[in-house]
Amino acid sequence: MENRLAQEMMENPFAEEPKRSSTWYWQIFTGVALVLLLGLHFIANHFIATGGIRDFADVVSYLRNPIVLVLEVLFLIVVAIHAMLGVRAIVIDFGISSQAEKRLSQALTVIGVLTVGYGLWLTWVIIH
Amino acid sequence: MATLEQPKLRRAGRWFDVRHRKLGMWAYALNRISGIGLVVYLYLHLVVLSTLSRGPGSWDAFVSLARQPYFLLLDVILLAGILIHGLNGLRIALTSFDVGVKRQKALFSALMLVALVALSAAALKIFGG
Repeated sequence: MENRLAQEMMENPFAEEPKRSSTWYWQIFTGVALVLLLGLHFIANHFIATGGIRDFADVVSYLRNPIVLVLEVLFLIVVAIHAMLGVRAIVIDFGISSQAEKRLSQALTVIGVLTVGYGLWLTWVIIH
Repeated sequence: MATLEQPKLRRAGRWFDVRHRKLGMWAYALNRISGIGLVVYLYLHLVVLSTLSRGPGSWDAFVSLARQPYFLLLDVILLAGILIHGLNGLRIALTSFDVGVKRQKALFSALMLVALVALSAAALKIFGG
């Protein structure tokens, strides 16, 4: 039974029941948010920054715009969550123990926090 | 075909081998490959942006590198990854809430067509068409 289900899922994931775990919903929520944020990011890059962001001074003045700053920081946080959840899903697919799964989640949380922290630090350095 | 008798690692690693598979497996593999690519890009992007902390000199040097034609090709590849992952992701989001489950193959094909058209338009624009 188990064997057959696995076989079918390999054959056709469209037949698979949607996974309704909380991480799955987080992945969808952050994913949809990223589509919106990336759209806004493109608009901000091409239309708010008149003449485009071409040199260092342009980057600094772009990030000093408070709306842009909020948008970019939000983008960084959401993308980090989405990326870590994605990596988690791929690694878990290799069939790891629940103990390993716990350690994986902890490690990815640390990596995600470091990633966001680094981005925030970099942003701070650039605008000051 | 992967079966449960095969070693764990090899079995789990079979998802990207889409030969002789159905459309759903293509969607699944494309989503994962583009996802892994985008994670790699995220960190490359952060490394590149770190030049901003070293002042205008190193940043402006990078910008002139980034405007070379072969570098612009990387932009097109990035955009392909974003379009495939983002648009296919919208399908996954919809079907997770039981919207369009029965028509998701058509939905997937239509979204990938949108990705192809958008990518072609962007590539023409990027290479100065």
